[in-house]
Formats: sequence, C-alpha cells, structure tokens
Amino acid sequence: MIKSDIIRGHLEPIILRLIYENDQYGYEISKQISLRTDNRFQIKEATLYAVFQRLEKKDLIESYYGSVSHGRKRKYYRITTLGKAYLKESAREWQETKEIIDLFMEGLE
Amino acid sequence: MRKITNHVEELFKDIPDSEEKQTIQQEILQNLEEKVYDLMEHGKEEEDAINKAIVEFGHIDEIKNELGVRTPDENSWQKKKKEKTKIDLGFSICGSALIIGLMLFINMYYSPDTIWFVYPTFAVLWWPLAMFYRWLKWK
Repeated sequence: MIKSDIIRGHLEPIILRLIYENDQYGYEISKQISLRTDNRFQIKEATLYAVFQRLEKKDLIESYYGSVSHGRKRKYYRITTLGKAYLKESAREWQETKEIIDLFMEGLE
Repeated sequence: MRKITNHVEELFKDIPDSEEKQTIQQEILQNLEEKVYDLMEHGKEEEDAINKAIVEFGHIDEIKNELGVRTPDENSWQKKKKEKTKIDLGFSICGSALIIGLMLFINMYYSPDTIWFVYPTFAVLWWPLAMFYRWLKWK
C-alpha cells in the first residue's frame, strides 16, 4: 500500500469525485477507494471523516440522512455547485502539476 | 457490536460534548458497524472483523483537529504571547529612555540656551505607550 503524501494532499478532490458520481456515505467511499485502486491505496476512516468535516465546512458538500441499515441511519453526502466548481479547478490544476513533474520524472533509465 | 460502540466512545471521550461531536460520533459508529457487517458477509469471524475495523480506523487526532478541539498547547501559546508583550514593553521603555537621554545630552551640551529635546521626546514616547496598551490588552 502506497503511503504517499502526494495522495494525501489530494484527498479532497478524490472524495469529491466519488460524491460527484453518486451521493455516497462514508463506508461506501472508503470501499470504493480501495476497490478502484486495487487496494494500492486505502483511506483510514479517521482521515475520511476529517475530510468530510472540512469539505462540509467549505460548503463543497452537504449531508442528509438516508436509508436505515442495521438499525442505524446512513449519513449521505451530495456535492454542491461550489463543490463541482472546486473539483473542476482541482482537476485542471492537477493536470498542470502532472505535466510539470513529468518533465523531470520521465525518460530516466 | 458492543465492542465497536465502546471503542468509538473511548475515542471520543476527550472531546468536549457538542452537537457536532454527537453527529460525527454517530456517523462513525454507523459506518464502522457497516464495515464489520460487510467483512462478516465476506466470511470473517465477528471478532476478526471488529478488530480489523478498529485497526484500520486510524488516528482520532485528525478528527479532533477538524472539530477544533483546543489542545493544552493553546494555553501555553497564550502564556508565551503574554510573556512576549511584557518583554516588548520593557524593551520599549529602555529604548526610549536611551534615545531621550541622548537627545537631552546633545541638547544640553551643544545648545543649552534652547530647550528643543522635548519635541523628539514626545515623538519617541509613542513607542512605549503603544507597547503599554498592547501589554494591558493581554494582561
């Protein structure tokens, strides 16, 4: 499992992207991240909920209570318009960052 | 499942009670339980599943930060700041006294007939005055 600070620095857009695709609840997101990265990256729950708090404070996502599972209500998140704009901007920024880093990382023996 | 509930309560016990804490605690509990059920569905023993969920949870400090829990550092930081304003005040008093003394000396030595040193004295006095009120604010 990769322990990259670079990934940790981009958790907000990563989680936003998943919420952007579908309204999600916590466990589903951590499962999706492990699944899509083929377990190469796993998010700790503590980190995940800290990011939720941050995103919600910045009005990038909002929450609502949904279906009941095992006797408890799931808390779902949906992305806001601001969140979508933020995600788009993050993606653009990442593209540029990647191009710059690639200039120095590619073509090595 | 009691073990999960107990564990989550243990994690949150240092955090002062608030509505925000309650919601996030409930949310974490719900999702951890869901994880345990999911792991059990995939063939894990309950005990194993619970342990795995707890181990993979990570460190509660990250959430504490987001909930704006004041760590003891906050107090010591304030104390340091107070200490600093005191030093600043002392420095400003000594510094301005030296400047005024110098002005007084030049005045008396070179032009004892005209008393002009009071003008720079007034200008310089703003410095300790400002520091004095800053110190009062922190006291």
